[in-house]
Amino acid sequence: MTYATPTWAVAPFVCYLLLIATLPLFFGAFWEHNRNKLIVAALVSVPVLVYLFGIRVGGGQMLLRTACDYVSFIALLAALFTISGGICLRGSVAGTPRVNSAFMAVGAVLGSLIGTTGASVLLIRPLLRANEHRAYTTHIVVFFIFIVSNGAGLLTPLGDPPLFLGFLRGVPFTWTLRLAAPWALVNGVLLSLFTIIDHIVAAREKRNPRRAAGISHFPASPNEPLHLDGAINLFWLLGIVVVVFVMGTYGTPLFGDSYLRSLVQVLGMLGCGALSLVSTKREIHEANRFNWAPIIEVAVVFIGVFITMIPALSFLGERGASLGITKPWQFFWVSGALSSVLDNAPTYLTFASLAVGVTNSGGATLSVENLGALAFHPLGQHLLEAVSCGAVFMGAITYIGNGPNFIVKAIAEQHHVRMPSFFGYTLWSLAILVPLFGVVSHIFF
Amino acid sequence: MIKDILVCLEGSPSTEAATRIAIGVARACGAQMAGLAIIDEPDIRAGTPTSIGGASYKHERDETLVADAKKLADDWVALFERRCRTAGVPARSLEIVGRPAESILTEMEAHHLTVIGRDANFRFETEEHDRKTLNAILHQAMRPVLLVPETTELELGHTVLVAYDGSHAAKRAITSFAASGIAQGRAVHVATVDDNGVLAREMSERAVAMLRAANVPATAHNIVSILSNIEALFKLAKDLGAGLMVMGAFTRGRLRELFSGSVTRGLVEQTEIPLYLQH
Repeated sequence: MTYATPTWAVAPFVCYLLLIATLPLFFGAFWEHNRNKLIVAALVSVPVLVYLFGIRVGGGQMLLRTACDYVSFIALLAALFTISGGICLRGSVAGTPRVNSAFMAVGAVLGSLIGTTGASVLLIRPLLRANEHRAYTTHIVVFFIFIVSNGAGLLTPLGDPPLFLGFLRGVPFTWTLRLAAPWALVNGVLLSLFTIIDHIVAAREKRNPRRAAGISHFPASPNEPLHLDGAINLFWLLGIVVVVFVMGTYGTPLFGDSYLRSLVQVLGMLGCGALSLVSTKREIHEANRFNWAPIIEVAVVFIGVFITMIPALSFLGERGASLGITKPWQFFWVSGALSSVLDNAPTYLTFASLAVGVTNSGGATLSVENLGALAFHPLGQHLLEAVSCGAVFMGAITYIGNGPNFIVKAIAEQHHVRMPSFFGYTLWSLAILVPLFGVVSHIFF
Repeated sequence: MIKDILVCLEGSPSTEAATRIAIGVARACGAQMAGLAIIDEPDIRAGTPTSIGGASYKHERDETLVADAKKLADDWVALFERRCRTAGVPARSLEIVGRPAESILTEMEAHHLTVIGRDANFRFETEEHDRKTLNAILHQAMRPVLLVPETTELELGHTVLVAYDGSHAAKRAITSFAASGIAQGRAVHVATVDDNGVLAREMSERAVAMLRAANVPATAHNIVSILSNIEALFKLAKDLGAGLMVMGAFTRGRLRELFSGSVTRGLVEQTEIPLYLQH
């Protein structure tokens, strides 16, 4: 059997994901500069561009479609980043186990509304401040990453970048709500476990009081109740939800042409972000240390991801079942395992494309360009559920599996929380998350 | 006689004790002191796996931690200078940006004695404990180290126990200790632990002779005990009321240490009195 996509065309994608994972470790100073990231992205993209324009029939069209997805993707992330950066939770509250659990519970819901990155950045500093007096806080931050930075994001396409990529490829906005059961199981178990552990640790702290160490970076403030500054941004957030929902549900009848629809969607999202920017007080942005550097980095790195993944996705869509991954539980574990060491957004699309290939090998004629059809196919929908859960949940297994994991770690360390090393954190995940995912796999896949 | 003492500064209680003991030794020997604070920027800025979008957060974290480390170093240096001034001991201070072990080893070369808190954490911004730095110093230092635990009395005490095993390091420890001036006015005892009591006696007497040649009178002890070497030495130190133990550090190769354990490591971890160590 001959395939349209040669195996070598996948190499730049694999190579780029490995570079993203390893360059910060071995060449940290080099990777710190966006210009260098752009150079790497450009270099790995060259063979793909040669392939698309010189060999692949319709390659230019594929690139254009991907460029539209890229712009929509970055526009959403930028808008959510801007809006969440305009909301600031202020006030003093003592970090008791009950308060900490409440933080986690709020984060578990908020993650699906403003994205796991937005929820993480919004809540982590108030949570750290509430617990500044405590001697042992590592477990709080680790569970925060598990719940708020990852598990929380499963319910809507706004929750986690992989799900938004699926949405851009046609998965309906409300489709992810069907994942409410695994979302509730994972977050419920983690929240319960956290509450028990935090109670035990707090009791130990009472028996053996030990001073929390380090220089405080929180401004001294009088006792004031917890309150939200920049609440206007909740309105702009609602605007994003409306734009994404309306364009996903009624975009085609309203605008027909997919490019026009994408343009309106991007303008709508960026408009909400711009309104947030002008309506937010400067002091709120300063309190949140808001700046554009993270989103510029994401935009630069994802240029390479989006370009190199074009042949990789089509390769998987063509090969499908011949790669040996055919069952939902296999999709859950394999997409999850890769999401834990590579970024989960491209991993999601990779396995969603493989799910298309597997479904097609059973006689269907689905396209990797339109995952909406996969989401309602009798077999395909189970595969897509497994991929969604695997990519979102297992992004929590390492610091690099999902964007906010490392952000939370860095902010916590900045406030002198002793965070586990890369492998130390992974041991926490292997001990707590992997057995839980085993239960999820057994029940749902 | 010791003329230059280097004190490695950081924030643990054992470094507080180390500074106190170092000031005492400096006053007794008429030595000048140098306080060394290290800003471990290389470890703070070390590369780490970073998620997409995390680089700017890492940069911000690094800047904050380096600034904090600098501020703490300033505070420790100021405190050190104040204490030396109060004690009437001439002192200067240094702040070095670099890896702690390398920085200390380099600076040690210019000083007769280096005083370090046993539980000192020079990599406090990135690690909960810092055994790596102490290990490197004790394995590589050419000059003697006075290691001071938090439990040390206010002063060194009047009795010194020299633990002697006949190794080159132990001989160097005796030579440098005898020349240091610390032995002056103190009762010095030499102990050798061995299953063969006669051998142990001969060995300890050789050490006593070495000390006597340097005008340090000493008493020999041979220990034949069912206790481990470490326990036997601690027991004798306690019985004698010793306030300082002198010994060669890591006298066996790292491979032998790996398989049969290390007396030095055991003594360093469990001691409640200062250790004068020479590799």
